Amino acid sequence: MATLFLDILTTASMLFIVAAGLMIILGVMKLINFAHGAFLTVGGYAVHVVTDAGYNAWLTIPAAAAVGFLLGVVVERLVVRPLYSRPLDAILATWGLGIVIAQVIVFIFGREVQFAASPISGTAELLATTYSAWRLILVGAAVILGVLLTALLYLTRFGLNARAVIMNEDLARGLGIDSVRVRAMTFGLGAALACAAGALITPLLSVDPNMGLPWLVNSFMLVLVSGVAIPGLALASLLLGGAQVLVSTFVSPIIGGITIVVLAAVILRIKPQGLSRG
Amino acid sequence: MADITSEASERSSRQVWRTAIGAAVALAIILTAPFYLDTYMTNVLIRALFLGVLALTVDLVWGYAGILTFGQSAFFGIGAYACALVFTHWGFGPGWAIAALLIGVLVAALTAWLVGLLSFYHGASPLYSSIMTLALPIVLVQIIFAGGRFTGSSSGLSGFPTYYWSIDTWFIIAGVLLVLVASVAWLFVRSDYGRILVAIRENEDRCAYLGIPVSRIKTGLFVACGAVGAIAGFGYAAFTNVVAPELGGFLLGTESLIWVALGGRGTLIGPILGAIGIDVTSSYLSGSLPFLWKFIVGVAFVVVIIVLPNGFASLATSGWRRYRMRGVEAGDVRHGPGITLVSTSGRRADAVDPTVAPIRIDGLTCRYGSLTVLDGITVEGRAGQLLSIVGPNGAGKTTLMRCISNGTERTGGQVAVAGHEIGRNSPQKIVGLGVGRSFQNTSLFDSLTVGDCLRLARFRIDGARSFVRSGTVALPEPALEILKATGLDQQLGLESRYLSHGMKRGLELAMVLATEPRVLLLDEPTAGLTKPERTAIGHVLTRLVAEYGLCVFLIEHDLDFVREISDRIVVLHQGKLLLDGTVDEVVSSDLVKAVYAGQDLEAAS
Amino acid sequence: MHGAAAQETVKIGIPVGLSGANSVVAPSVVQSSELAAEEINAAGGILGQQVELVVADDGSGAQGAQRAFDSLVFQSDVDVLISMETSAARNAGLPIVNRAGKPFIYTSFYEGRSCSPWMYVDAWVPEQQVMPIVDHFADNLSAKSFYLIGSDYDFGRGMLEFTRSYIEERGGKVLGEEYLPMDGSDWTAIISDLKSKNPDALITSTAGGAPNVTLTKQLRNAGVTIPYGNLAVDEGTAKNMGGDATGIFISQSYLTGIESPENQKFLAAMKAKFGDELKTPNDLSVPQYEAIYLYKAAVEKAGSTDPQAVVDALPEVSYTGPRGPIQMNKQHHTPLTMYMGQVTAEGGVEVIKTFDNVDPGEQCPNL
Repeated sequence: MATLFLDILTTASMLFIVAAGLMIILGVMKLINFAHGAFLTVGGYAVHVVTDAGYNAWLTIPAAAAVGFLLGVVVERLVVRPLYSRPLDAILATWGLGIVIAQVIVFIFGREVQFAASPISGTAELLATTYSAWRLILVGAAVILGVLLTALLYLTRFGLNARAVIMNEDLARGLGIDSVRVRAMTFGLGAALACAAGALITPLLSVDPNMGLPWLVNSFMLVLVSGVAIPGLALASLLLGGAQVLVSTFVSPIIGGITIVVLAAVILRIKPQGLSRG
Repeated sequence: MADITSEASERSSRQVWRTAIGAAVALAIILTAPFYLDTYMTNVLIRALFLGVLALTVDLVWGYAGILTFGQSAFFGIGAYACALVFTHWGFGPGWAIAALLIGVLVAALTAWLVGLLSFYHGASPLYSSIMTLALPIVLVQIIFAGGRFTGSSSGLSGFPTYYWSIDTWFIIAGVLLVLVASVAWLFVRSDYGRILVAIRENEDRCAYLGIPVSRIKTGLFVACGAVGAIAGFGYAAFTNVVAPELGGFLLGTESLIWVALGGRGTLIGPILGAIGIDVTSSYLSGSLPFLWKFIVGVAFVVVIIVLPNGFASLATSGWRRYRMRGVEAGDVRHGPGITLVSTSGRRADAVDPTVAPIRIDGLTCRYGSLTVLDGITVEGRAGQLLSIVGPNGAGKTTLMRCISNGTERTGGQVAVAGHEIGRNSPQKIVGLGVGRSFQNTSLFDSLTVGDCLRLARFRIDGARSFVRSGTVALPEPALEILKATGLDQQLGLESRYLSHGMKRGLELAMVLATEPRVLLLDEPTAGLTKPERTAIGHVLTRLVAEYGLCVFLIEHDLDFVREISDRIVVLHQGKLLLDGTVDEVVSSDLVKAVYAGQDLEAAS
Repeated sequence: MHGAAAQETVKIGIPVGLSGANSVVAPSVVQSSELAAEEINAAGGILGQQVELVVADDGSGAQGAQRAFDSLVFQSDVDVLISMETSAARNAGLPIVNRAGKPFIYTSFYEGRSCSPWMYVDAWVPEQQVMPIVDHFADNLSAKSFYLIGSDYDFGRGMLEFTRSYIEERGGKVLGEEYLPMDGSDWTAIISDLKSKNPDALITSTAGGAPNVTLTKQLRNAGVTIPYGNLAVDEGTAKNMGGDATGIFISQSYLTGIESPENQKFLAAMKAKFGDELKTPNDLSVPQYEAIYLYKAAVEKAGSTDPQAVVDALPEVSYTGPRGPIQMNKQHHTPLTMYMGQVTAEGGVEVIKTFDNVDPGEQCPNL
């Protein structure tokens, strides 16, 4: 029972962390970044590079975030900006970009699976059961991330500008907000979050050129259901992530894999604006 | 009359002949190819040909109808697995083969129909539809995994009994299938239905408001393409003797999009060549430079989407177009194939019951959250009467029209058209009841000609031909009059993007009239028109009401215009109906003056 | 279009999982193949002709294998296919091999009972591998209840099916048998189920590289410490897992610690050729090396590379390599010496028991 509860909590945290970057981009720029999976992969390889070079495993997360930010700004300028008026085409272009990034990774690192050390291995005692320590850390990471993002959006100037652009870009521009710059920074931030998320989940997986792909569709569905709000995303992660764990545990892990997708499709059919209020 | 019809049928039979000749040439190539191609190439090409059929279905759904679909591969996979499962677990032989093919096609069609029901309802955003097509292959692959030993799960099924015909025979089978499907698709997109698909892609809302059953057409197309995709998948599995979950998965689905995007969406030939070209080259390079090749394709794909959205075929077609225009002077604009106008008396004339009001609105309320836009509006329209709706900005006029024409918009109250409640019906059903609506911002189809637009407007009444292009459009008198008045009857072959603003308004009005409405909702029809154009429209509207007995609701800001042509005026203010009376009553009302001057209502009365 | 006309070289086609689940072990397979080719060429080649290797990526799966086999058989027109692949890839490639009539030596351990007149196997099958582990768990570690985890494809299911029937034959109980698709990486639910059922021992049979590693990582992260027998891991992958692999029981036909002169010679030659780039030779790469020599012997016996002649000669030749004497004369499979061992903290393997000349059993009674 305790294990099930912890499974749900940690799975929801992982989903939240992975989907946060995608949600920021969707909210401000109204487009789905299909290169998100590739950014996750880049984060994973950042971990590989940093730990291979002998640095402390905890450094991998900020390193991944930095790489992600730079990559995001470049991508926004080259690929996303020309397609702002064509959102469906933007999905396709970012998907193509994801393919390109995966191939570049193969050129540099080869196509084999790599393994990276984790900052913490082993288990911890909690709720009368032993549980994976790193997974528990992820719960903390998700909470910190949620708090930081909320602070960013509501307590900073950038956040204010971003919220204005989210609500009504034309009006925001009319008020003098440089929406182009907001979008570029946002994409960079979203990419940084994606890479950091990749770094955070690597200790539980292996690193290969396509590691981010399975997460792409799930995060995409979660973000749509979340209604582009941080509390909405947290709620969606808990509900859908929890459903996934329950189905995997009691029915079959294979059917569990599609729980999020199916539930999200159903929810969106009934409530197209997702789980947020209004 | 006789020569018009015969000319039309002559043109359509010419189209059929041209297609047949093209198909024959392609077949000839197919039949002779195995003689000069080596075994490996033939092998690879057979697979590529089946995949070409898949690309074709993606082009129809995405390139023509505008539905970004990631999931055509799911139908391919269903067909493939039907073949493998039946042959592995039940039996093999001609009877079994036919049964397996039928099972594959039926399951694919059923799945497509279900997905269509879920995704293509009125008001569904294009993003949502795409998401559903994305979810489809993912769910399918997981179902295959869940099948364990039965479906072979991750490893798939292989070595099942199949027809071990020679490679040449398989080549002919694949080639013939592709040519057949391509020919049928070619005729289809050049027919009336093809125009409808383009219209749906360009302006789905407008189609709904012309009474075109958009959801049903989209679903129908999706089902047909799903069935064809399953046939291709069946052939693929029978030839290669291996099925694996990748055949129905998301990656193949996105690859098919890449083929279509690079080849040229909406051209049919482009995607086929794109699919075959990329697949064959991948096979050849899979040994030597697999990752460099994938990189090149990825980069090309991104570049094409950004810079050349219509794919490489657009280079070819624009070159062709320049060649065709080489003798034409600048300023001369392209005209499409000719279309002839025919008059019709309209079916509705006899069915009108004079005692029932054409439209009756009762206690209509519309709220958005805590904001009440319309509050208890009650008004009745009468045949042969032009009723103007006036009021300051934000009074709720356009919202009122929206609530009348779309059953899902209002929060409360009833609307009855000719005695029929509109309930929660979608726009196309309400058009069917006899409501026609024009929009504040003219809403047309840029790439279709004037004649095509009119043909579209007649869909609900006259239907559409599936494999030929009709040469005539039957229009009721009111529509014909507008066309003559604006000079559009001389410009039937002109693409509507080239029309002047006034002509666009005229065309929209003609289109709405072509649907033979009882009630006409016009939202600021004179906005942006010159004085003479305004006068002309005024005359037309007066005649429509007087001679043809229409009931017209008109939103206007030009109060002089309103005074001239209206029979009744209704004043809206802050969502409430302030006054409903004759022109004189309203014009002389102090209340109305106060409202327009912005004074406090209490002070005025 | 056979290579009846005089060819300059003998072409050996090697479809292998350069990408995908097997990509962890593929480099070692390519290395041992290259060593074999180099040694044979230095000694004059096969029937005076030089050996040429043609490697193709099969993506560790069915679709990729089809393209790889097609390319090798029809485009490169190889004389023989010798390869280590996942069962999914092998099953997809077999129809092509059958159609084209090329000799095919399959060098990977697998779930058994895959038969074709053109295919020979020089690696182990469950009859040779599973029993030592189950016996050890039941007899020496008092395990009465077992939990089985695998990858959902022919290998995973085949191995665990055999394991289950053997356990039950011995009077043991199987408390759970769970699978994830081959590229699945989230074992959370299965591990939680394992912990709740509380079995005495765990036996797993996943696909080669990545699934092994993710499963073991997650098991250790969840604090699972019961005796763990892994039917599908090799020394090299175990090394990649680092500390997590300590204590895992494996049953293999090759370990680097084998003290025969052939193995010493082999290891020295590999070290000399590849130096720092050397990937640990293992139970997937050594059979590949030996298979190439077996092919050489068969061609020399048949006097030509004609497929039918070679295929007839293959069961009659033998080769003594790092694993000892190999002859594929038992229904296209070979008896083997099996070693049961446990992974040490340094990543090596400590041998617990050795079994000589274990028979593969009834694999292909119709051949």
